[in-house]
Amino acid sequence: MTATAAASTAGSSTNVPLLQADGVTMRFGGLTAVNNVSMTVNEGEILGLIGPNGAGKTTFFNCLTGLYKPTEGQVRLAGVDLPPKPRAVVRAGMARTFQNIRLFANMTALENVMVGRYCRTSSGALTSILHGPKFRREEKETRTRAQELLDFVGLGDSTEHLARNMPYGNQRRLEIARALATDPKLVLLDEPTAGMNPLETRQASDLIFKIRDTGLAVVVIEHDMRFIFGVCDRVLCLVRGETLVEGTPEEVQSDPRVIEAYIGTATDEDDADKAEAGAGHNSDAGKGSAANDAEDS
Amino acid sequence: MDTFIQQLINGLSLGSLYALIAVGYTVVYGILQLINFAHGEVFMIGAFGALTTSLVLFNGNTALWTLPVMIIGAVVASVTTAVLMERFAYRPLRNAPRLAPLITAIGVSVFLQELVRLNYNKVPFTSWNPFNLPDAKSRIPFPQIDVVTGPAIQVGGVTIQRAAIFTIGALVICSALLWYFINRTKMGRGMQAVSQDADTARLMGINVDRIIVVAFALGAVLAAVAGVAQGLQNNNIDFRMGFLAGLKAFTAAVIGGIGNVEGAVLGGLVLGVTEAMATQYIPGQFGGGPWKDVWAFVLLILVLVFRPQGLLGAKEVDRA
Amino acid sequence: MRIPNIPLSFVTRHGSKAWPLGLTGAGMLIIGSLLSWSYDAQVLGNLSISFNPGGLQRLAIALALFAVVFLLASKGPLVRLGQWADTALGLRALATWTLLFMTLVVVAITVEAGGLINVQPGGWVSFLGAMVLFAASRLVMPTETRDLAEAVLPGWVEILVIVVIMAGLLFGAAYALSLDDAWAFVLFLVFVTGMAVAATRAGLLSWLGHVTARHKRVLILASFAVAFTFPLTQGGSDANMSIASQVLVFAAAAMGLNIVVGLAGLLDLGYIAFLGAGAYVGAALSTSGFATIGWKPPFIVVVLVAGCFSATLGLIIGSPTLRVNGDYLAIVTLGFGEIFRLTMFNLDGNNGPDLTHGPNGIPAIPDLSFGSFNFGDTHVLLGIPLARFSNYYFLLLLLMAFIIMVFHRLNTSRIGRGWVAIREDEKAAEAMGVNIFGLKILAFVIGAFLAGMAGAIKAHQDVSVTPDQYIFLESAFLLAAIVLGGMGTIVGVLVGAVILKLLPEKLRFFADYRLLLFGLLLVLMMRFRPEGLVASRRRQLEFHEEDEELAIRAEGDIAEKVQA
Repeated sequence: MTATAAASTAGSSTNVPLLQADGVTMRFGGLTAVNNVSMTVNEGEILGLIGPNGAGKTTFFNCLTGLYKPTEGQVRLAGVDLPPKPRAVVRAGMARTFQNIRLFANMTALENVMVGRYCRTSSGALTSILHGPKFRREEKETRTRAQELLDFVGLGDSTEHLARNMPYGNQRRLEIARALATDPKLVLLDEPTAGMNPLETRQASDLIFKIRDTGLAVVVIEHDMRFIFGVCDRVLCLVRGETLVEGTPEEVQSDPRVIEAYIGTATDEDDADKAEAGAGHNSDAGKGSAANDAEDS
Repeated sequence: MDTFIQQLINGLSLGSLYALIAVGYTVVYGILQLINFAHGEVFMIGAFGALTTSLVLFNGNTALWTLPVMIIGAVVASVTTAVLMERFAYRPLRNAPRLAPLITAIGVSVFLQELVRLNYNKVPFTSWNPFNLPDAKSRIPFPQIDVVTGPAIQVGGVTIQRAAIFTIGALVICSALLWYFINRTKMGRGMQAVSQDADTARLMGINVDRIIVVAFALGAVLAAVAGVAQGLQNNNIDFRMGFLAGLKAFTAAVIGGIGNVEGAVLGGLVLGVTEAMATQYIPGQFGGGPWKDVWAFVLLILVLVFRPQGLLGAKEVDRA
Repeated sequence: MRIPNIPLSFVTRHGSKAWPLGLTGAGMLIIGSLLSWSYDAQVLGNLSISFNPGGLQRLAIALALFAVVFLLASKGPLVRLGQWADTALGLRALATWTLLFMTLVVVAITVEAGGLINVQPGGWVSFLGAMVLFAASRLVMPTETRDLAEAVLPGWVEILVIVVIMAGLLFGAAYALSLDDAWAFVLFLVFVTGMAVAATRAGLLSWLGHVTARHKRVLILASFAVAFTFPLTQGGSDANMSIASQVLVFAAAAMGLNIVVGLAGLLDLGYIAFLGAGAYVGAALSTSGFATIGWKPPFIVVVLVAGCFSATLGLIIGSPTLRVNGDYLAIVTLGFGEIFRLTMFNLDGNNGPDLTHGPNGIPAIPDLSFGSFNFGDTHVLLGIPLARFSNYYFLLLLLMAFIIMVFHRLNTSRIGRGWVAIREDEKAAEAMGVNIFGLKILAFVIGAFLAGMAGAIKAHQDVSVTPDQYIFLESAFLLAAIVLGGMGTIVGVLVGAVILKLLPEKLRFFADYRLLLFGLLLVLMMRFRPEGLVASRRRQLEFHEEDEELAIRAEGDIAEKVQA
């Protein structure tokens, strides 16, 4: 536990619910990937979503963002029901990143972020063709805002680089900038530190605090326990598609069921630290495994 | 009632033709997610292969025993075309964006049509015509095999062309063999595995390239049989016959659920019967022969709107 | 055109001889060109008179002079140019093409005049000169060059360069059209290609890219000035203008299709049907005695109605198919193209209402007239009579300008970014709030609208409209123009359209093999250069996913466009 972690628990979260997911269930044929999961995210809160490989975290994400239509249950953002359409979800104020980075590879960093502005602009074909005043104003705004966001995530110098040419860590940042460009109230980050070294991971947690400090709520999926417990205000642990524990990092960290879920059986309270280290290790070993792939699909 | 049965039989014989060709589209699509536009040309070349065999080997002899040899000639021509096409046009584009193989397919299609039109009766760029073959720039009469063509059979008020029986029979036999091949042979199971997940199949030691070649060849065999059947039904063949037939067969494959072999057969039959019924039962000026192709495409669009995965296709799950 | 390189040790040993050898070769080429090439004065224009070089001989001299410039840039007074341009690569390409040119000249004289004996000493001197130049070019050592993006000349010089090149294009086009002899036409193409390849290899073309980016307005103005002046170079002959206006209709349609295929990435194989729909509307609403609809609005209204009619058809076809997997679109549009043709064929009064007169079509469509200006009449401008096709040419040029503007402005707007995003990763675009279906249908409908407009004009230009003008092959040709030229580019598609429409007109001897070669061309293009002759950088990257080097090189170019 570092000093930043202490700061985060004292963070600016209020108890106004922003996102409410009630009894979300997702079945693929006979397989129940997510079973009756409920989740509440308050304004200005950082919520962690953890769970072993194949626990249904990404599937749950896809249900929230409208990529899947949940078999049962509903999702509400700021009191409004979200239809299961990605575009409507983005417009309502929830944006996401992807576990395996999905940038527009042959566009520049600036263009990638400008695409994120798409849903907040409305110049149609006619004004685009005629270069009407609305087009020029919006285009200028889009460009300025995109540049601001690149500066915000620390990519101000890479504006003109093609996404595919950027180093891995910067691609993750760019994806976050692109999500922020949609003016969300809530961002969902799917494994933002996967494949990062410790320095990059630290920078990522700083960025997440920075995003929270602008008044946004953040939901993070991660395998890296140290990262999750250092960043989040609250943690939700999914196992086999069901909620196992929900609570503060301390509560979840010391819950024997969580430890059991990650490393089988734990006999001693003192093993908690080892469990944590073990879980971090587990996340690396699990990359690209069959279980992980199954969760993606 | 007689007219209904009559149209049903007409539709089934037309549909059998579509079904035979459609299998080629669906097998290749199932494995490569590639619409092989040039498959119609494989069908056309099959018909020309049969014609050539008959002209060169039998010199106008139309005895029934020549038919199997003609079919073999058709199969050789079609399979050679399909395999060469796969090797030289499609394989280099395996990892290219989807637009590339589609455009290539159009190029191959035009190229093959023109090749037949210009060079059927002569060695390219010469006027040497060793076997005295006819000029392919216009329709060429197809040999009328005894027994299989002859006068139509009357059952009650229904007229059944002998060639129609041949076509439907060919579909039945081919379907049975195809089913056996796909479900009961090692190669067929390999094919199923590759269509599920080519990368994993490769890791399991399946030679994916070979499976793909086999898929093209398999489609070509059925297309060749269809080519012979078409020649017998219509009495003549020409270099353009692959275009519309290919288009219809693809439509049939989509209607049945592309990627699904049973679907292709079902889709072909449904399309054929729809066309036949439309000719008979759509009243007024928009019924009748001239509009039947239009109704076939209307059916395609309706299927895309209401059941995009096709009659037998499974719904695709979005991936994130 | 790749020729194995000579071993490096040999080049370093004899490198010093390249320069004098090259100058000797170029000199021989020039001297030979001043002499007579052929006994027969009927062959390849007249090349038989000494000290009065014919057209092809002047081209040879131009090639030689270009080579001299390269040589002097590597060592001599123009050495400052050599710091920027890659003279070695340029010279190699130029020498290769020059040798090809001279070889073809010898072959052409031999074939046309009947025997090698007809080649005069002048021809042999030039041929030898080309060979010497070729040998010398192999010995030239490549040098380090500086980044051409930094090579900035005074503004007026750069503008002058643009104007000179544009004027060159104008006279080149006029000259090419005036060549009746197929061999001469092929040789001219070899000349142009050789010059272009050499300039590209030397990096001059990419420099030109930077220059034109700096002076966009000048370029656009100059291009249209050239296009507008073109009819004046024809000295009142309408024969070539007929070809030119057909090229324009074709190019306009190709540019419309380019929005659908090149920008939105949707494969539309029935595009010709939208052109046809516009043409039928134009014909049915015209004052032809065979027109089937009584309403006779002014032409501007007809054009808009035609556009809207096509766009509506596009909407009907697009809305069910664009929701499902993209591959279906290709086949449904293909089917639509057939339905359109069949429908026009069938609506003859026997199988439906008599709207189109079936296979006979609607003939005798009168020429357009705006006020007292009738498009059928000959008008005199600057003393040069401009006949019917010139008039249509001007009108089509306006349409072309409009379509290019629509294309370019959409491409550089929010909508254009959305299209690129969809092409790159449809799911991610959707998750970022891009309206996938809306943008696809928009591209489809805009493409259809533009084709409808072009069709209405085409109806008048062609005088009659029949179903067999709108067959699948025409759609395939339009697609080929885009593929050949370069998807998503303006210049590329113009080049592609001109090549595909002009070559068959000029090379009638291969008319029979036209389609065969065309099919082969599509296959080979997709195999070896899927991004087309003039590549859009982004498209190039999409077709060469693995190529990291290309990605680094392309970065600057794409960023430059974004910032512009």
